[in-house]
Amino acid sequence: MLVLGIGNVLMGDEGIGVHVVQRLEQLPLPENVRCLDGGTGSFLLLESMQLASRIILIDATIDGKRPGTVTRLTPQFSSDYPVTLTAHDIGLKDLLDAAYLTSGALAVTLFAVSIEPPSGIGMELSPAITNTIPLIAEMIMEELACAAVRA
Amino acid sequence: MANRIVVDPITRIEGHLRVEAVVENGVITDAYSAGTMVRGFEKILKGRDPRDAWAFTERACGVCTTVHALASVRCVEDALNITVPQNAELIRNLMFCTQYVQDHVVHFYHLHALDWVDVVSVLKADPKKTSALAESISSWPKSSPKYFAELQTRLKTFVESGQLGIFANGYWGHPAYKLPPEVNLLAVAHYLEALEWQKEIVKIHAIFGGKNPHPNYLVGGVPCSLNAEEVNAVNMERLNHVGSLIKQAKEFVEQVYIPDLMAIASFYKEWAGYGGGLKNYLAYGDLPTRGYGQPDYFKFARGAILDRNLNEVHPVNGRDAEEIKEYIAHSWYRYAGGDNLGLHPFEGETEFNFTGPNPPYEQLNVEGKYSWLKTPRWKEHPMEVGPLARLLVSYAAGRTDVKQVVNDALKQLNVPVDALFSTLGRTAARGLETLLVVHWMQGFYDDLIAQMKTGHTSTFTREKWEPSTWPASAEGVGLTEAPRGALAHWIRIKEGKIDNYQLVVPSTWNASPRDGNGQRSAYEASLIGTKMAHPDQPLEILRTIHSFDPCIACAVHLYDPQGKHLHQVKFY
Repeated sequence: MLVLGIGNVLMGDEGIGVHVVQRLEQLPLPENVRCLDGGTGSFLLLESMQLASRIILIDATIDGKRPGTVTRLTPQFSSDYPVTLTAHDIGLKDLLDAAYLTSGALAVTLFAVSIEPPSGIGMELSPAITNTIPLIAEMIMEELACAAVRA
Repeated sequence: MANRIVVDPITRIEGHLRVEAVVENGVITDAYSAGTMVRGFEKILKGRDPRDAWAFTERACGVCTTVHALASVRCVEDALNITVPQNAELIRNLMFCTQYVQDHVVHFYHLHALDWVDVVSVLKADPKKTSALAESISSWPKSSPKYFAELQTRLKTFVESGQLGIFANGYWGHPAYKLPPEVNLLAVAHYLEALEWQKEIVKIHAIFGGKNPHPNYLVGGVPCSLNAEEVNAVNMERLNHVGSLIKQAKEFVEQVYIPDLMAIASFYKEWAGYGGGLKNYLAYGDLPTRGYGQPDYFKFARGAILDRNLNEVHPVNGRDAEEIKEYIAHSWYRYAGGDNLGLHPFEGETEFNFTGPNPPYEQLNVEGKYSWLKTPRWKEHPMEVGPLARLLVSYAAGRTDVKQVVNDALKQLNVPVDALFSTLGRTAARGLETLLVVHWMQGFYDDLIAQMKTGHTSTFTREKWEPSTWPASAEGVGLTEAPRGALAHWIRIKEGKIDNYQLVVPSTWNASPRDGNGQRSAYEASLIGTKMAHPDQPLEILRTIHSFDPCIACAVHLYDPQGKHLHQVKFY
C-alpha cells in the first residue's frame, strides 16, 4: 500500500500533497503502508506505483470549488482525473498512463484538495489549506484501517 | 494572407509554454515564445543558510532535480573556495550521467517520438516485417514476430479504449508522418520497453543520494560514505548493483536508442533543413576529471560558438559582469535602473510588473512585454543551449571521442556537418551525447572502484563547513549542464546567510522573448521558414520546439493555469 503525496512545496498550497505525507509519516501506520513524497510526479515514481497493491494519492486541484474542499475519487484512467490538477498535472497524468500501459489498471484512491491558483512562489500554506492537513490525514487513516480489516 | 496560430501549452510535461506563430502561405514568417509562469526563487532563499539552498532549488523541477542541486552546491563551494574530494567528484559525475541517460531516453521515446511516430498506424504493421527490420539494425533480443504480434494486439485494446493520453492526443494520419507502419510498431514497442528500463537506471540516484525523487546533496562532497564491508554505507554490494545498471544502460542505448534514432532519422532527412534558428551556441561544459576549477579537463567542453564557426571556441566566464546579462524589454519585470538595462545575475533583480492580458485571451501583445521569462544574452548575442550546443562546442574544441561519434553518425546518414544545425540535428545530438555519456559513466565507475581498492574512501571535506570559517561576504557561480542545456546558479553570501540568489536555466536561454534590439531567442528563431502542411494541426511546430526538450517549470513558476490546457486544441 502506497500513500503518495504529489505537489511542489515551493508553490504554496500546490504542495498540499507533500505536506499531508509529511504529517502521516509522524503517525503510527500499519506495517504494509509506505509513504512517499512524490514531488511533481514524473516517471521516477513508476516503480513505486507498479509495486503497490493499492495507491492513495493526495494532490491539489483547481476545480473552482471552495479552497480547502477535499474530494475523494477513484479514477481509473488519467482522463478521469480532475482536469485542472496544477502545474504538475501533465507529469502525473503521463505517469498514470504509463503505469496503466505497463501494469494494467491500478487501484487508486485520490484525495483532491481544491486550491486557489497559486499567485507566485512561496512556502507558506493558506489557512484554509493548512486546516485540511489533519482532516485528510484522518480520512487516510480511516481508509488504511478499513483496508486492514478487509485484508 | 497572414494569420497567427497559437500553440498553448506546448510542453508534454512540466510547466507552461505558449508559442504564437505567424503563418503566411503555409510558411512560418515570425514567432513569439512566452512562458506563462513566474519565478522568484531568491525571495524564498534570501536569509537562509547557503548550505541548505540545494534542497530548495532541487524542487524547482520534478524532472531536472539533481542538476539544480549540483549547480547549487557548486555555487556555494565556488564562493567559499571549497574543493571536493575526488570520490565526491566521481559520485557527482555518476549522478549526473544517470540523470542524462534517463532523461534523454524518456525525452526521445515519451516526449518527442510521437512527433515522428504515428502510433495509430502500428495497427497496420506486419509483425514479421517489423521483426526482420529490428534484427537488421540491432542485436536487441526482444525482436521475434511473436513479440511484435502480441504487442500489436495489446496496443489495439489501448487505442480502442480511447482513454489513454498518448493515443488520444495526436495528429494521427497527418501527412508529415513518413514512417512505414513497421517502423512505427518498432518505436512504440520501445516506448513501452523504455518505460520499464528507465525505472532501473534511476536507482543509482537512490544508492548515492539516499532517495529518489529528490536525492540528497551536500556542500563539500556527497552525503554517503564509501565502505566495502559496512552494511549502511555504499558497500560492494551496492557498487556492484551500480555497475550492472551501467552495463544495462549501455546495452539499451547502443542496441535500442541509437538504432531507433538512426532508423527514424533516415526517413526524416528533410528535417536537417529546418529548425536551425540561431547560429550561436553556448555550453558551460561539465563532468570534471580534475576538479570543477579546471574546465579544460571536463568531458563536455566549455565555450561559445558564434555564427556557426566551428574553427573557433570563445572562452566563457560566468563571473565576468560583461558576459552574461539578463534583459527584460519584453518580460513582465521592472528594473530599478530602467527596463533597457541588462543585469549580470550577481546584480539580478526580480520585481514583477505584469502588464499582459488576463486569461482567457486570444493573442499576446508582442509589441510590449509578453513573457515571464527574462532574456539572457552572452556578450549581447542570443545563444542556443542544450545537447546540440554541447556537442558542437566539444566538437569544435577538438575532443576526439565527440568528433568520432558525430562523424560516424553523419557518415551513416550520409549528410554533411551542416545537417547538425537543424531540428533533426538537435534530436540526433541528444542521442549521440547519450552514447558518449554511458561510456564516460563506465570510466567514472571504474575510477571509483580503483579508489576504493587503494583505500581512498573520503567523500566529504569538513574544512569550510562551519560558517565561522567563512569570509564576511563572498560570491560564487555554479555552472553545470542540465540535460536541456546550460544551467547556472549565482549566490551572494553575507554574514553567513544568502543575500542574493539567481538562477539562469536552459529554457530561459532558449524560450525567452526577443531582446530590446529585436534579436529573437532560440525557439522564436528556429520556427521561421518552417512549412506547415495544415496550419490548424501544427505538428511541425511541435517537432522543432520539442527538439529543444522544453521544460518550463524550472524556468519559471505558475502564473495562471486556470483552464489553460483546455485551450482550444489540446497539446502536451
